[in-house]
Amino acid sequence: MTQLRRDPIVGRWIIMEDESPWAPKDFAVQPHTYEETTQCPFCPGNERMTPPEITAVRPDKSAANTPGWRVRVVPNKFPALQIEGRLDRHGEGLYDRTNGIGADEVIIETPDHAKDLPDLTYDEVRLVLETYAQRSADLQKDKRFKYMMLFRNYGFAAGASLNHHHAQLIALPMIPKNVIEELAGAAVYFGYRGRCIFCDILRQEEEESERILEKNDAFIAFCPYVSRFPFEIWIVPREHKDFFCKSSPQELEALAHILKDTLGRMKRTLNDPAYNFIIHTSPNDAREHPEYHWHIEIMPRISRIAGLEWGTGLYVVPTPPEVAARYLKETKTT
Amino acid sequence: MPELRRDPIIGRWVIIAVERARRPKGMRISPSAAGEKECPFCEGKEGMTPQEIFAIRREGTAANTRGWQVRVVPSRTPFLKIEGEITHRGKGLYDVINGVGAHEVIVETPQHIENIADLDEVQIAKGITCWIHRFLDLARDERFKYVQIFKNYGSPSGEATTGHARSQLIATPITPKRIKEELRGAKRYFDYHERCVFCDIIRQETETDKRVVAEADGFIALAPYASRFPFETWILPKEHGCDFSHMSVENRLYLGRMIKKIIGKLKNGLDDPPYSFVLHTAPFRHPKAKAGYWKTIEDDYHWHLEIIPRLTHTAGFEWGTGFYICPIAPEEAARYLREVEGP
Repeated sequence: MTQLRRDPIVGRWIIMEDESPWAPKDFAVQPHTYEETTQCPFCPGNERMTPPEITAVRPDKSAANTPGWRVRVVPNKFPALQIEGRLDRHGEGLYDRTNGIGADEVIIETPDHAKDLPDLTYDEVRLVLETYAQRSADLQKDKRFKYMMLFRNYGFAAGASLNHHHAQLIALPMIPKNVIEELAGAAVYFGYRGRCIFCDILRQEEEESERILEKNDAFIAFCPYVSRFPFEIWIVPREHKDFFCKSSPQELEALAHILKDTLGRMKRTLNDPAYNFIIHTSPNDAREHPEYHWHIEIMPRISRIAGLEWGTGLYVVPTPPEVAARYLKETKTT
Repeated sequence: MPELRRDPIIGRWVIIAVERARRPKGMRISPSAAGEKECPFCEGKEGMTPQEIFAIRREGTAANTRGWQVRVVPSRTPFLKIEGEITHRGKGLYDVINGVGAHEVIVETPQHIENIADLDEVQIAKGITCWIHRFLDLARDERFKYVQIFKNYGSPSGEATTGHARSQLIATPITPKRIKEELRGAKRYFDYHERCVFCDIIRQETETDKRVVAEADGFIALAPYASRFPFETWILPKEHGCDFSHMSVENRLYLGRMIKKIIGKLKNGLDDPPYSFVLHTAPFRHPKAKAGYWKTIEDDYHWHLEIIPRLTHTAGFEWGTGFYICPIAPEEAARYLREVEGP
């Protein structure tokens, strides 16, 4: 038998297999490396292959666009959006369009070509997270940008196009649809109950505890009750806060620990799958968002998304989060 | 310069990254999966599937034997099960329903042919007749709100085990989110303009003629203005109608012809890519349902078929935002597909 579960935030329904759930070995993991024919533009010594850097962590005070950096931020050489210009909205018959104004930055998280985030030390991950927060806060000052989308694609099936792992930060000139829905769902809950729905989710998850993977003073990592993907994981700060970029240094330190451990656990359990993670935060609309609570969503790309999911937004999840959490917890972190 | 476009129906924004356009051949992800050794969907293998629900077969032949042209069977690995009452319950702040529904497979040919483009239009029309037959039958079951008919072809798009041409059907006790959004969007447009947004789209596309892939009896095929995926194509009936099950026998043949044409163009022009297609139609309108829930649906909604070739991997950005980066403008896609020879 399966069951249907409804996401309390956006109202999405999920079909969940609860009789014969899939184990990690039941998913075919695609290989996800590229043949490398040219030099890697993200490796030290090849700094000239990228546009000039926006910022970098350089403990040795080395010059910009030279080796010596630990984390380096550059504009995307093939940007989805362009930074210069004014937003120009117009109609075309019954359609609406605007020009593609925005920012598209690449955060190179390590000079080491072969390392993924959980392969770094806690301290190195903290430097990466500080860079994420600093770039988000900086772009937030530009009022043309309504939303900062920070995400990471690991592996071919997750949309990565280079072997040297990195994150992307895209500043959008409008609030994307999924975010509007998430905010609207959270606002309805907040309006009715006067409480944040994410705080309530954390409370319920802690009480039931079967889906929790890791906890520390500032964060909880768990498989959400209404996962869209098998082995989906959320990392949510305990303290209610609307923006990721408002995180304190202590919080980023705690996040470095839980993120490294959780990603490492997930990778070991699922045999190094392709995955995405996305930081969900409030939009840059000159307001506070008491109804919203920033968090990270991690999605291993091991199940196939096909006609049903595209057509209806109805996802079929072959491993319930309770079972996924059990497998993940059985795996050692190091 | 890239541009952002908004889908006028549900308000979804799409980035059309024209400058990143790549040649169609450069976008392929992996070849279609090869067929299994013993195919349970071939004529003569009727015993390998669960008992048939419906079939168009030669007069005098018995169910679950040879002699059929199109055959509907329950899925061997159903997402949802047909027996049982629907129970809603809460779990703290969450809602849960037990997984009651239908999951059926429509086998579109008795021969082992993989791509629907390689069937003839009369054969495809028989498959469409099966869709309608099953749809009308499930519509009588008051537990169900929606029937989703869809097809996955080729590996990356989710095809399960064998390549035998078939479509699937899922009946659900809820109206899925994307369908609801589209219905609401169409209603909103109708409330304001008193016209169907899809009819307006057909009118504008016919006039500008930049994104029309094909036009023929009964149907038009378009590359939608705010395409989410490269070479996304919609097939719409030219005559307004919210419910595909009301389609005339003649139109079934015309739809079969148009499906064959479009899928054939994708096959020839894009090197036989994996694809999915999804039928969008009005949900069941049970008399018991909330009065006025879809009051103007007959006028505001227009059924259609959405075809999505699977040429790119959807990445974190798209998942997180519902905002798609499409590497080729629909005008280019339409021009390319128009020039490609059909089957």
